[in-house]
Amino acid sequence: MAAIAPAHRTGGVAQAAPNRAPRRRSPALRKAFPYLLVAPALLYLMAITLYPGAFAIYQSLFVVTFKGWDWAGIDNYTRLLGDREFWAALGNTAVIGGISLVLQTVIAMTMAYFSYRDPMIKGWRIVFLMPMLFMPSAVAFIWKLGFNDGRVISDILLGLGIVSKNVDWLGSIWLARLTLIVADVWQWTPFLFIIFVAALQGQDQEIEEAARLDGASWPAIFWNISLPMMRPIIVVAITLRGIDITTMFTNVYIMTQGSPGGATETMSFFIYRQGFRMFNFGYASAASVLMLVMTVVIAQTVVKRAFHSGKK
Amino acid sequence: MPQTLKTATKRKSRGESMLLRYLVLGSWAACCLLPILWFLTIAFRPRTEIITPSPIYWPSFSLDAWHLLMSDWPIAQYMRNSFFAVSGSVIIDLALAIPAAYALSRYEFKGREDIGFYILSTRMMAPAIVAVPIFFLFRSMGLLDTVWALMLVYAAINLSLVTWIIRSYMLDIPKELEDAARTDGAGDLRILWEIIVPACLPGIITAAVIATIFAINEFLFTLLIASTSKAYTMSVALANFTGGSDGVIYNAIALVSFLAFAPILILVILIQKHLSRGLTMGAVKG
Repeated sequence: MAAIAPAHRTGGVAQAAPNRAPRRRSPALRKAFPYLLVAPALLYLMAITLYPGAFAIYQSLFVVTFKGWDWAGIDNYTRLLGDREFWAALGNTAVIGGISLVLQTVIAMTMAYFSYRDPMIKGWRIVFLMPMLFMPSAVAFIWKLGFNDGRVISDILLGLGIVSKNVDWLGSIWLARLTLIVADVWQWTPFLFIIFVAALQGQDQEIEEAARLDGASWPAIFWNISLPMMRPIIVVAITLRGIDITTMFTNVYIMTQGSPGGATETMSFFIYRQGFRMFNFGYASAASVLMLVMTVVIAQTVVKRAFHSGKK
Repeated sequence: MPQTLKTATKRKSRGESMLLRYLVLGSWAACCLLPILWFLTIAFRPRTEIITPSPIYWPSFSLDAWHLLMSDWPIAQYMRNSFFAVSGSVIIDLALAIPAAYALSRYEFKGREDIGFYILSTRMMAPAIVAVPIFFLFRSMGLLDTVWALMLVYAAINLSLVTWIIRSYMLDIPKELEDAARTDGAGDLRILWEIIVPACLPGIITAAVIATIFAINEFLFTLLIASTSKAYTMSVALANFTGGSDGVIYNAIALVSFLAFAPILILVILIQKHLSRGLTMGAVKG
């Protein structure tokens, strides 16, 4: 009976198998088997994503207080769309995340290109990875101490003659944002670095060598040969990092708490503040739902494409 | 071998660009290392020398932080909480992900691509989006402020990553290996357990290590779920190291962060070769 042969194997060896395999499952079970294998993982993820998603949508239609839930219809959403703080949080996330991502990508690519062929660097690569291995909450404290409480960075800048007096990092919008950007770039450039190194090492060295023999300069080789060849992997790496940046929370919570005047409040911190500081759970859920919609749109377009091209 | 030879000749002809290269790489290495080394000195200096009008670069040595941790903070409890929540979550992940990855990499079935992508897409969900519902969910289950809740959340956060990493390594296993076992009449589950799992062990270990790191680092959910030292992990306990009017107790924070850093560093050195592949969920073959 051909039906018993595993559905995915058509090779000669496998087809000879059924004769010698007496304990075989029924065709129905055979068909269901892969589904049974993925089911536990799938159900677990659905329980922890779809259920909360549905819950958030439901809760967003109420004003939730400790006394109970009062039906509010779409009030939370209309209020949210008119809420200056919501739009500011969205803008801050985009600005802080965008600048961090560009800086990380440029630094990581430069370092990767300078070091990937170097046998001497290879053994020391772990040094470049260390920031990534530090607990994010500890990293936030490193920079909180460096910028604000311990004044080390001001002191260094004073010593170099770049500034003339102590800098109040939380006193201006862009300086406060800068502290978050520095902390994120410091911690996560290694993530992109290690991926770019792997990508550069995986590329076809012969083409590069041929171009070099033809007298091409290294920037030309990099732009015209290395970069296009690495494109799929770069897209995957930047996509993964980009997603994580938009969820930035820990650094905001520890370093700035959104100050000054909400200039460093990210979307995640906005939801947290509405929900767990002001106990506007319905309102926080409405913001979650809007963020979820954005995530799904991005996931369906950018990420799906990134991972499909990345695999091949 | 020829690679090193090539590099060697090139190096001779490009002395100046090499100098520039090492200058750039060296300064980046310093940027990576100096803040960590400086934080290490914080861990071993007295509190009076941390928050000062101008920073002290040559502090006196002190074990204040250590004594403070031993007397005022249940640090052993925090470490135990981190350990149980993280290792429990990794075990849950492996138990769920290995069969799922096997199905996604070895079988043709309807909806395979969509299921795979759904699993991947859960990785993109910002923790803040599900924070409020998860909080209510665990509250109704009476699991707030328990290590069990943390374990379940960490497992959920990492499940997509673990599944995709293992799937990627399973795709690399030559089909002939199973075919031989199949002719001997081995069932699918036996093939999975006796052939596939041993063959992709590096992938499983890589996935476990990366999941461990992310779980140790988790902050937002832990902040919401844990409210006493019953469930505080190292990551969140740090944020509570404040002595009221004394402000943030940096030397204790630094000391705890190095207690977490040491095991992570060792784990990562062990899987260094697989790191880039793991971090991209298998998209890059390191």
